[in-house]
Amino acid sequence: MTVVIQMLINGILLGSVYALLGVGMSMIFGIVRLTNLAHGEFIIIGAYGSTLLSLALGVDPILTLVITVPVMFIAGVLIQTVLINRVMLQGSEPALLVTFGLSIILKDALLLLFTADARHANVPYSTATIRLPAGLHIAVLDLVVFAISLATILILTLFLRYTYMGRAIRATSDDTAAASLMGVSVRRTYGIAMGIAMATAAVAGLGVGMRWTFYPSSGGDYLLIAFGVVVIGGMGSIPGTLVAGLIFGLAQVIGGANYGMLISYLLLILMLAVRPQGLFSK
Amino acid sequence: MSEPILKVEGLQAKYGDFLAVESATLDVPAGKIVSVIGANGAGKSTLMETIAGIHKPSAGKVTFKGEDITGMPAEKLVLRGLSLVPQGSRCFVRMSVEDNLIMGSYPKHARARVKESLDFVYQLFPVLKEKRHQPTSSLSGGQRQMVAIGRALMAWPDLILFDEISLGLAPAIIKDIYARIREINAGGTTVVLVEQDTNRAIRTAEYTHVMLKGRVVLSGRSKELGEEEIKKAYFGL
Amino acid sequence: MKIPVLLDRKKTKAASSGGQVRVLDGVPMLAACVAIAAALYIFGLTGVLSSNIQRYLLKIFLYCTLSSMWNLMSGYTGMTSLGQQTYIGLAGYSLTVMTATYAMSYWVGFLVGAVISTIVSLILAIILFRMRGMYFAVATWVVAEALRTFFTSWKFVKKGAGMTVAARPYPSTSTIYIIALTLCIIALAVVYFLLKSRVGLGLTAMRDDPDAASSVGVDIFKSKLLVYVVSAIFTALAGGIFYLNKGSIYPAGGFGISWTVSMVFIVIIGGIGTMGGPVLGSILYVIFEEQLAKLPGGWTNIVLGLIAILVILFLPDGILGTLQKKLRFEILSQKRFSGE
Repeated sequence: MTVVIQMLINGILLGSVYALLGVGMSMIFGIVRLTNLAHGEFIIIGAYGSTLLSLALGVDPILTLVITVPVMFIAGVLIQTVLINRVMLQGSEPALLVTFGLSIILKDALLLLFTADARHANVPYSTATIRLPAGLHIAVLDLVVFAISLATILILTLFLRYTYMGRAIRATSDDTAAASLMGVSVRRTYGIAMGIAMATAAVAGLGVGMRWTFYPSSGGDYLLIAFGVVVIGGMGSIPGTLVAGLIFGLAQVIGGANYGMLISYLLLILMLAVRPQGLFSK
Repeated sequence: MSEPILKVEGLQAKYGDFLAVESATLDVPAGKIVSVIGANGAGKSTLMETIAGIHKPSAGKVTFKGEDITGMPAEKLVLRGLSLVPQGSRCFVRMSVEDNLIMGSYPKHARARVKESLDFVYQLFPVLKEKRHQPTSSLSGGQRQMVAIGRALMAWPDLILFDEISLGLAPAIIKDIYARIREINAGGTTVVLVEQDTNRAIRTAEYTHVMLKGRVVLSGRSKELGEEEIKKAYFGL
Repeated sequence: MKIPVLLDRKKTKAASSGGQVRVLDGVPMLAACVAIAAALYIFGLTGVLSSNIQRYLLKIFLYCTLSSMWNLMSGYTGMTSLGQQTYIGLAGYSLTVMTATYAMSYWVGFLVGAVISTIVSLILAIILFRMRGMYFAVATWVVAEALRTFFTSWKFVKKGAGMTVAARPYPSTSTIYIIALTLCIIALAVVYFLLKSRVGLGLTAMRDDPDAASSVGVDIFKSKLLVYVVSAIFTALAGGIFYLNKGSIYPAGGFGISWTVSMVFIVIIGGIGTMGGPVLGSILYVIFEEQLAKLPGGWTNIVLGLIAILVILFLPDGILGTLQKKLRFEILSQKRFSGE
């Protein structure tokens, strides 16, 4: 019984990170109708950013968000307005291929810049645990990342619900023509949506860097999880992303190091085959 | 005679190679109600969408409040006081009634007045106030039209284009909506009504334009246009 | 395929873009193809070409096969697969397992690879065909990644260390050259005749408007299935020959995304949806690859990726596609210009 509860706890803690990985992708998928195959690389860029900045400036990795989040937000806006908006005029397939090309370029660029060494964002409390009754424990590191992930998702939800730009994003994803009748510039909104997605990738990258070691090639693994979370949770649904994140988190915890990824792949393929619109599609 | 608030000259709009609007010319005097009628496929909706900036014109000129707005995208026109209530209402289905209305206040100049605007719309359409937190997907057709109209009003436009507002609605509801439209016009907003239901449109509007196969073939004061004349123009006899 | 010399003036066809387009088809064109093929055979067999050049050319033949198949799926049928490496890896490992573990000839290796790929492609088709566009693309990639992970921990195939091909006697470069050339010619012929057949017409209709196509009786599922399985088989055979040439395989290489990168690059540069595009693209790609290898390591994919993105943005029909549009000719008919 204790084992089950421990698994549940770990699954939830892990699931929050997975949900965060998927949230950015879900936005782009739901709003811009684009599968961003470079999303994994963006997350790894965030990981490198936080790791290296924290080393260079000698600060806790969490503080690096002050730099990485705005920088990646701006990068996202630029990529969308300069590159993706233009190629989307040709259709969704060329756009997909462009993100594919982008992911390859970024992966190899990271390799050139930072070598194939394993990286990790070190924190002083990486081995601390909180002891709970009944022999259960929570790793402090996992808890911190959990808190950051939930906070980010919460902020995003509030933003989408209560701000004008948030409403504009939701309106655009519903009906672009009607949105422009409201004075919304669809192209600008796409840019902001991508910027937000990149910003969440920056935070997700921090989480990845803190919890695990990563390499330039790690992007693919995280893209897979992000995509899986989006597909299972349902495009454009944030609660869905949370549930899907939890499912994936539990799958990983139960499956362990070897079979965890495989179970995730199978779940994803199963979902795509049976119910591609996800559990919570709107 | 003061300048018309909207001047359309030789406007042309295509879908690929298909000429939906061949050449449309009409004037809309400020503060009046004007109707644009015509059979299915005459090009009325395309004309409205082109004027409102959703569709790009391939030729011609549109002047609004003295400014050349030809080809300007919709988001810029809303800022200048031109709104379109599109065919089929096109509410943001996943958003609530109130969220839809608040979207109408998206233009910067409207945001400060959002509370005032909401009160105005709710007074105009009390049923919307009742259902303010419900998603528009749960509303009836008539109620969605009300949301669409309310949404357009939230930005306090100088000119509203209504594209087939009565399509698919029960007569009693249409009567109600038209009464509101008259109220809106009484408040100073210029109204353009595009309709297939010619009788109601002509009775409500002071001026009428008839479209046929992408052209405006008859224009004049509604009262002065004879029934035969209109029929001929409408059907191209 | 020589272009201007063989203009068949008798045959012209009005293109959908509304002008007269010269179709380079019919007897003169086919005669030219046969001549080129014959030349390549003779030069290879009589030793006119050095081993190095043969190695160069056989790479081109293999990439031509791979990319023609990718083009058939993506450019003509609208199925963008990012996971063709599934069949390359399966074929490569079939080869090593058959030759090394079971001491069979490499032909058996090829055969087993083709059979396994046929079965796998049939299974995948059933699962993946319900998915549209982006979902399909990512799903194909997921399958390849799953296989990569699996093979990396599978003892039978020596896990991540990989396996070597143990053909006895090991075929010469000339032999492999001839095999690759033959496969390439057969592959191009299959693509050509498939597109010319009734199935082919249905495919182009399907790519433009699946609903309209099915309403006039085009069996979408069967057509897509045929294309997918045929592509899988030829991809597997090309993969097998590639690894026969290379001599060894490991999971990250056999099931790696680099295969898709090259196929995408070749087809985009050459011209998606054209017969000649993959041929031109393969030649350019192999040349590029050789040149880029001279640069300090690791820049290859970056440069290729940048070129591909720029081509998609500014030259969406690829080199051959743009030339065909500008000069108004088509090589071997059944052209598909990319949509507006």
